[in-house]
Amino acid sequence: MMAHSEDDIALAAEYALGTLDADERAQVETMMSRDKDFTAIVAAWEYKLGILNQMVGSIEPPAEVWDKIKTAVGHAEPQPPLLLPDAAPPPPPPPPPPPPAAAAVVEPAAAPADTSNVIRLSAQARRWRRVATFTTAIAAALVAMIAVGVYQPDLLPDAIRPKPRVQVVEVKPPAVPAPSAQYVAVLQKDGGSPAFILTVDAATKNFTVRKVGAAAEPGKSFELWLISDKLPRPRSLGVIGGADFTARPVLSSYDTDTINTATYAVTVEQAGGSPDGNPHSAPVFTGKLIESVPSR
Amino acid sequence: MTPAELVWLIAAVAKGDEAAFERLYVATRAKLFGVVLRILRRQDLAEEVIQEAYVKIWNSAGQFNPSLSSPITWMASIARNRAIDVVRKRTEVSIEEEPAAMEVAADTPDPLARREMTEELKRLLECVGRLEPDRQKLVLLAYYNGWSREQLAAKFETPVNTVKTWLRRSMLDIRECLGL
Repeated sequence: MMAHSEDDIALAAEYALGTLDADERAQVETMMSRDKDFTAIVAAWEYKLGILNQMVGSIEPPAEVWDKIKTAVGHAEPQPPLLLPDAAPPPPPPPPPPPPAAAAVVEPAAAPADTSNVIRLSAQARRWRRVATFTTAIAAALVAMIAVGVYQPDLLPDAIRPKPRVQVVEVKPPAVPAPSAQYVAVLQKDGGSPAFILTVDAATKNFTVRKVGAAAEPGKSFELWLISDKLPRPRSLGVIGGADFTARPVLSSYDTDTINTATYAVTVEQAGGSPDGNPHSAPVFTGKLIESVPSR
Repeated sequence: MTPAELVWLIAAVAKGDEAAFERLYVATRAKLFGVVLRILRRQDLAEEVIQEAYVKIWNSAGQFNPSLSSPITWMASIARNRAIDVVRKRTEVSIEEEPAAMEVAADTPDPLARREMTEELKRLLECVGRLEPDRQKLVLLAYYNGWSREQLAAKFETPVNTVKTWLRRSMLDIRECLGL
């Protein structure tokens, strides 16, 4: 990034802000296609400024938008044709709810310039939220959770070493998105401060590891293992901790009971992870899953 | 839906999971539509842009990096960039369609209002708040409404070149304030 002049940085910023004209935007896109560092500068600006979208009210698009998107990406029609010749056409797949009548652009009210402040901005934002179908609080909460580390710190001390609750989760992915149970394991050393927070979505068995403390020594990697008395040996869930946030689907091959009762352990391995699929150190951090967000 | 779930859905979409794509759409469409409608101010254009944006999200889900951006910000950036491209190419989008200016951001806001904001947003607004009042408005109008320099110049009754200088200076000031 050091190779980039202040002009380039300002150009990237204005691209993200949106004030460049069409030719300049095309120029920036050409630069991005050739220069990864420049692309990263633009992306950093887009992320920084994108936070402003927390204050933008949500507005439902019309239902037919989804049909057009599906067609455009080439999704097959999920409904098999019925054999009844005069049957009504099959109902559309789980449809987005209908849009609010003529979703109007919600205008912030004009206000005298001299008295502007954040309070007004927030008050307007609240007003838009009331009008909007969805609340922006959802998006704000999303970003807040990413920012502070997935789950509230107050969850951590008491959550340490709970009796492993065996949750028999009926894995029936709902057709309509519904919050599914979330399981959390705090991986730590001897009751010390947490090093990783593992979260598992019960419905999808997807897991996410958030690095909250530990950094691996140079030349070493942390590797996550699933240890279960149902399995003959620890199973690797991959190298973690290289980034603040690691997300993988590898738990999908284990049954729910195994996932819920297993011990999750982190070992120190050579850079890139264990070469032979076996752990080479004693676990440095361990934890078990507890349910943090009950399914509804 | 939590950010972790959205990250998961995007990862599944990257592998061609159509059901995950639908869940992702349902969870994010209203936010993205709100963002582009503010900029385009026309339902028909906003619908086109949102379609294109989700097609791009479907095609580029594999490029999403959760360590660089939150899922919703990444998706909103894709949609917003499409919207800006469209308005920049449609020079006939006229200034008469301007909304009233959104007012912003200098003083210390009340604690209640602040509690609704994330730390990141507070920090950004603090940096925006350090700009001169006109420039605060300039930056926020540009972002929220997607206005061009010409539209901003008309709004602020200032030559386009002055707006250009202000924008550049403002962005560099924000950068310094954020420690980018």
